[in-house]
Amino acid sequence: MESAFEFAPAIALFPLAAFVIALLFGRQLPKRGALVGIVATGASLVFSLWAALAVATVGSHREPLFEWAVGEPTSETGVEGIEFTFGILLDPLSTLMLVIVSLIALLVHVFSLGYMNAEGETGLPRYYAELGLFTFSMLAFVFADNLLMAFIFFELVGLCSYLLIGFWFRTESAPSAAKKAFLVTRFGDYFFLLGVVAIAATFGTLGFAGEGSFVEAAGEAIDAGESLFGVDPELWVTITGLLVLGGVIGKSAQFPLHTWLPDAMEGPTTVSALIHAATMVAAGVYLVARMFGYYALSPTALAVIAFVGAFTALFAATMGVVKDDIKQVLAYSTISQYGYMMLGLGVGGYVAGVFHLMNHAFFKALLFLGAGSVIVLAHHKQDMWEMGGLKSKAPVTYYTFLAGALALAGIIPFSGFWSKDEILYDALIVGIEQPVFLLAYAMALLAVFFTGFYTFRMVFLTFHGEPRSDAVRDPHPVGLSIKLPLVVLGVLAVVAGVANLAPVAKLTGLEITFLEGWLEGGIGEASYLAYSGAVFEGAEAVYATGVIGTESTTVLVAAGVSLLLAFSGAGAAWRLYGVPEPVRHTESLGGAYRLLRANYYQDEYQVWLASGFTLPLARAADRFDQGVIDGVVNGVSSVSLFGSGRLKRLQTGIVTNYAALLVLGFLALLVALGVHGGWFL
Amino acid sequence: MTVPIEYYVLLSMAVFCIGLFGVLTRRNALMFLMSVELMLNAANINLIAFAFYHGNVTGQVFALFTMALAAAEVAVGLGIILVLYRNFRDVDVTVPSAMRW
Repeated sequence: MESAFEFAPAIALFPLAAFVIALLFGRQLPKRGALVGIVATGASLVFSLWAALAVATVGSHREPLFEWAVGEPTSETGVEGIEFTFGILLDPLSTLMLVIVSLIALLVHVFSLGYMNAEGETGLPRYYAELGLFTFSMLAFVFADNLLMAFIFFELVGLCSYLLIGFWFRTESAPSAAKKAFLVTRFGDYFFLLGVVAIAATFGTLGFAGEGSFVEAAGEAIDAGESLFGVDPELWVTITGLLVLGGVIGKSAQFPLHTWLPDAMEGPTTVSALIHAATMVAAGVYLVARMFGYYALSPTALAVIAFVGAFTALFAATMGVVKDDIKQVLAYSTISQYGYMMLGLGVGGYVAGVFHLMNHAFFKALLFLGAGSVIVLAHHKQDMWEMGGLKSKAPVTYYTFLAGALALAGIIPFSGFWSKDEILYDALIVGIEQPVFLLAYAMALLAVFFTGFYTFRMVFLTFHGEPRSDAVRDPHPVGLSIKLPLVVLGVLAVVAGVANLAPVAKLTGLEITFLEGWLEGGIGEASYLAYSGAVFEGAEAVYATGVIGTESTTVLVAAGVSLLLAFSGAGAAWRLYGVPEPVRHTESLGGAYRLLRANYYQDEYQVWLASGFTLPLARAADRFDQGVIDGVVNGVSSVSLFGSGRLKRLQTGIVTNYAALLVLGFLALLVALGVHGGWFL
Repeated sequence: MTVPIEYYVLLSMAVFCIGLFGVLTRRNALMFLMSVELMLNAANINLIAFAFYHGNVTGQVFALFTMALAAAEVAVGLGIILVLYRNFRDVDVTVPSAMRW
């Protein structure tokens, strides 16, 4: 089993090899590089499972692989020289994520055979090469053992999503969407970089877990009460944690940096599935989970995470209600669901957050691939008002999509219910003792209703009723490569909840919270046991938790309320859109409809910030630079130019004059020296 | 019997002033060169007189250097004067005045 760790770097290197092969020889290969990608991601999946098995039997593993720089010991607390390394960290969290990422990547590659190859797209070698690089970056990000390596691959993930969103670069919208995605996430990553530098400078180490990790160093600094850079250690941890959170908010599309994600729908649908389920967007939340021990040291940072998440969950869910494009609805649902994960992590529900990350990866990949299938069926139409009636014509797509929709809406017993309910439960029990968190709970709860509504609005408009265009009356057939991933993910979306049936465990006392047990292991402080101890137990607990009556009633109340809201949302969608000829009900919302259609004018105000505020500021700075800084330099030169223009008249070209000047100058110097030296007194 | 140092200084001052006067007033390049020689030799007189006065030979050595320098200077100066004559058919130093800005 130990040998699994030796082969662990290969998990990421397989897709990298696929990238190189597809890039160089893609044109000559059968299927234009798809098979290479499938083999590589399949091998990654096998090795990830093997690594997970090894973690289960042998325990977690951390190993530096490559050291590229050693610095001087100038940090605030660290005593040894800081080392910048590439290394792998295999613990329950990272291996779980490795399995998820490689599985989704594999299924996306298979699906691409039907979605891209069968449609005769051009540039397929480029497409598969970029998919390979994307998978490689994410896998390397997941098993990174230090923050700097994580940052490097975090950036690489951003680059790959830029490339893939702009895959159809000859259109007008795709390149601009790609640029937007890149710039908005870069804005967040700027803060992330500052955070990395701050943490490195403070603790002299960037390791995530185990001996000499910055999490441990921060905990010791807080215990010792030493001041870091002249401020309270807890405040400093909060500041650096929030700086890193900037990158998370950008990547995981949280308010206010969520605007790039809906535009990212310009890429191929398969890419959207990968971005939303396993790679790009998941990277942000995964990073919070990865350094959860650090955030657990700072109640302020946790509260910020919780409120950003809860607000984003509600905010994005309301926008999803009015969208007509099937991919747009899914995009807003992604933003909303990642908001839930942030809320879960923010209220200390580490297991709940990771659980939802896992379930969401399955059902969101399923929904996006399902949407891809629908788009194929509807001859590349994406407007749901031109669909309808696909239920009987494409049963596989319908039933798998329905499974994903039920999971997304949080209907019992589909996977999404269990994880979302656990997040809401964690928010509720914290909110009972700290009432301010009830606000976050309320926002998340309200979002459940909207989620149910937009999900089933999408399902009814797409699959039910009468066909509303010729495209769906005669749907394009879909092949096995499309159906197979849908079935695999459909099964997972239904059963993945079994991994952690926390409410059932609490009610019956059965030991069936497998995921919690899995996450309890880990290196040093980086385990769920340590996290829950830091957040909920002891004299310095971040959160106190309470119950309504007994624990069982709390569980039932939380689950009941969220289920009721999910059912009422779904029911409202059924009443309004589950008819043969649905009409556009959302337009009757009037002003609210216009506000939601315009996405709360988020793009407008951000564009205004750029053009109305930053641009004049930059102009003023430019004027200062050109006028004052350059002005001084240019002034000096023009004064000397002018002065020497006049002074050069002194030169006559006649040697005698020079000699006279020389003598006069010497005499003047002599007189001056004499006066100064007092010779004439 | 020795000559007091003041006489040497007066002599060298006179020779120097004659040389300086020549440099400032003469237009003929040859006269110019000769004036410069006078100034150099005025300095030589001083050097040797004070060397004798102080009883060491450093000043005499310096005077030798100055003479070597003067010889070199004359060689270069005569070269310049030849070129001057070839170009201007004259050795008047005020005629070539193009060497300026």
